[in-house]
Amino acid sequence: MFPAPIQDARPLGRFGYAAAVPIVLVIWLLPLLAIALTSIRSLEDLSRGNYWGWPDRIMAVHNYRAVFTSSPMGRYLLNSIMITVPAVVGTLALSSMAGYALAKFRFRGNLALFAIFIGGNFVPFQVLMIPVRDLMIHVVPLYDTIWALVVFHMAFQTGFCTLFMRNFMRELPDALAEAARLDGVSELRIFWHVVLPLVRPALAALAVLVFTFIWNDYFWALVLVQSDSARPVTAGLQALSGMWLASWQLMSAGALIAAAPSVLLFFLMQRHFVTGLTLGATKG
Amino acid sequence: MSDVQLSHIAKRFGDHAVIHDLDLHVAPGEFCVFVGPSGCGKSTLLRMIAGLEKISDGTLSIGGRDMTRVPPANRGIAMVFQSYALYPHMTVAENISFGLRMSDMPKAEIERRVARVADTLELTPLLKRRPSQLSGGQRQRVAIGRAMVREPVVFLFDEPLSNLDAALRLQTRVEILRLHRQLGATMIYVTHDQVEAMTMADKIVVLSAGRIEQVGTPLELYHRPDNLFVAGFLGSPRMNFLRATLVPDGEAVSVRLAGGGSLVFDLPGTPHGEATLGIRPEHLRLLRSGEKGAGLVLSATVDLAEHLGAETILHLTASDGTALLLRTEGLARETIGDAVQVLVVPEACHLFAPDGRTLLNGSQG
Repeated sequence: MFPAPIQDARPLGRFGYAAAVPIVLVIWLLPLLAIALTSIRSLEDLSRGNYWGWPDRIMAVHNYRAVFTSSPMGRYLLNSIMITVPAVVGTLALSSMAGYALAKFRFRGNLALFAIFIGGNFVPFQVLMIPVRDLMIHVVPLYDTIWALVVFHMAFQTGFCTLFMRNFMRELPDALAEAARLDGVSELRIFWHVVLPLVRPALAALAVLVFTFIWNDYFWALVLVQSDSARPVTAGLQALSGMWLASWQLMSAGALIAAAPSVLLFFLMQRHFVTGLTLGATKG
Repeated sequence: MSDVQLSHIAKRFGDHAVIHDLDLHVAPGEFCVFVGPSGCGKSTLLRMIAGLEKISDGTLSIGGRDMTRVPPANRGIAMVFQSYALYPHMTVAENISFGLRMSDMPKAEIERRVARVADTLELTPLLKRRPSQLSGGQRQRVAIGRAMVREPVVFLFDEPLSNLDAALRLQTRVEILRLHRQLGATMIYVTHDQVEAMTMADKIVVLSAGRIEQVGTPLELYHRPDNLFVAGFLGSPRMNFLRATLVPDGEAVSVRLAGGGSLVFDLPGTPHGEATLGIRPEHLRLLRSGEKGAGLVLSATVDLAEHLGAETILHLTASDGTALLLRTEGLARETIGDAVQVLVVPEACHLFAPDGRTLLNGSQG
């Protein structure tokens, strides 16, 4: 077996491994722990310089409530949800359909089209900044609305997702769709009842990935919106740093609130990451 | 019951022709087997009948109606795939009923049909399982059930047994034949396995490189092959071929083997020239010491003796170096290195022209 399991290593190796794991874990998680601790401290605690010790008072409820009452954080979160959810759903819908067409239908230019989808992934997004902003101001008047971000993220993420879905769907046996076709099932229903259920693991993985990308996006939130009514939580936090100035406990609490949905989604989607769903479709 | 008529059917992928101007009639209720080496176009032909591949040229009619451009679902056919193509996320019952559920058939009728199919194929206890919980043979039966539930007039099978192990293959073969008798439907069956072709078919169609080599009953094809290809393709172990020269002599022709010796046949009008003499392994006879026979005697040595129990296959090399296969009784004592005398009886011989066409089929069955 390669690599050899650690249980089979010599005692020294096993000991080194056992010692290294907690150390790495702590280094890895330390910043997160610091932020979590800071988010429940009082302001006085922080000004006294107690960054790493136990907080003198647990201010969790107070701090987290303050984030929502003293700032438009609720609005930002809502914006983020209203941007991210439609963008993820739209991206998955477009890319799974495009991926299916590219994977399973023979038509002229199939490969060229696929190459364009791949090539699009290599365009650095900074290059797009000025043109997309101009586009949103002059051509499609969506600038400074949440739709600007929804449309852009959908367009931008579809490239990678199509590549991913196409390669995943290519592994599905042709005979499945053919059997349905012989039964007179329409292409759309084949897609819905046969193809989509079988690519559920891929969809779940992409959903989490794309959700995280879009939720965490900061760059485009700066470029395409400027008012509080459309600003997602990432850009919102930045805006708040001026207002809160030295209120690190509120910054930390806000940051943790902003990060929570991605983590939550990961655990929610985990049970869908089941591979081997196509087992039993065909022998072997 | 419906017949299937192919007229001048052709299939091209771009400039590459895979089926050439092919004519075939499958009678109502017939069990017709397409057989041929891989790449001969037999699966493509089946998929053209199913409607999964477009027909480039010619017409297809099923039950007298032109189906050349009709979508697959309206052709009255059902197909069983080599890979079974079961939907892994659906139960057996859902798999069988999927097509019906997607049309607007009343629920009660669907349930009635599924129950009947499940009963026929002994799938009733498995209806709630998923394909991954079934054995290969059970999956195969579900695939057949999914075809049956459509109540098609023509069944198409694409190498349905090639994924099963030997014992199950035999059993499923029998089951499909029983089903054929029970339903009386026309069935077209593709295989590369000549044993399946020989045992199942009412009619065998031997294909090679997109053309029909011969159509006929299994025994016709075995005993009266039209050409060298069919003669060599059907039969296991395969027919022996010996190089020979034809020397016409009035009404008869003398066939001189490259390795010496000759046989005389009544075959008026044959030209002088090269030919191939064919004889099946079971028609070669060992001459034990002192025995005499009417025919040509070849000397050979034993290279290998395959003892199969009921019979023995001897691999021989004749004195001129030609390899021969000989089928003899199970208790044959010959072993590697033995020198043997082999009798070639003229009545059992087939004669093929240099272009592969049959000049003469032996009369000995």
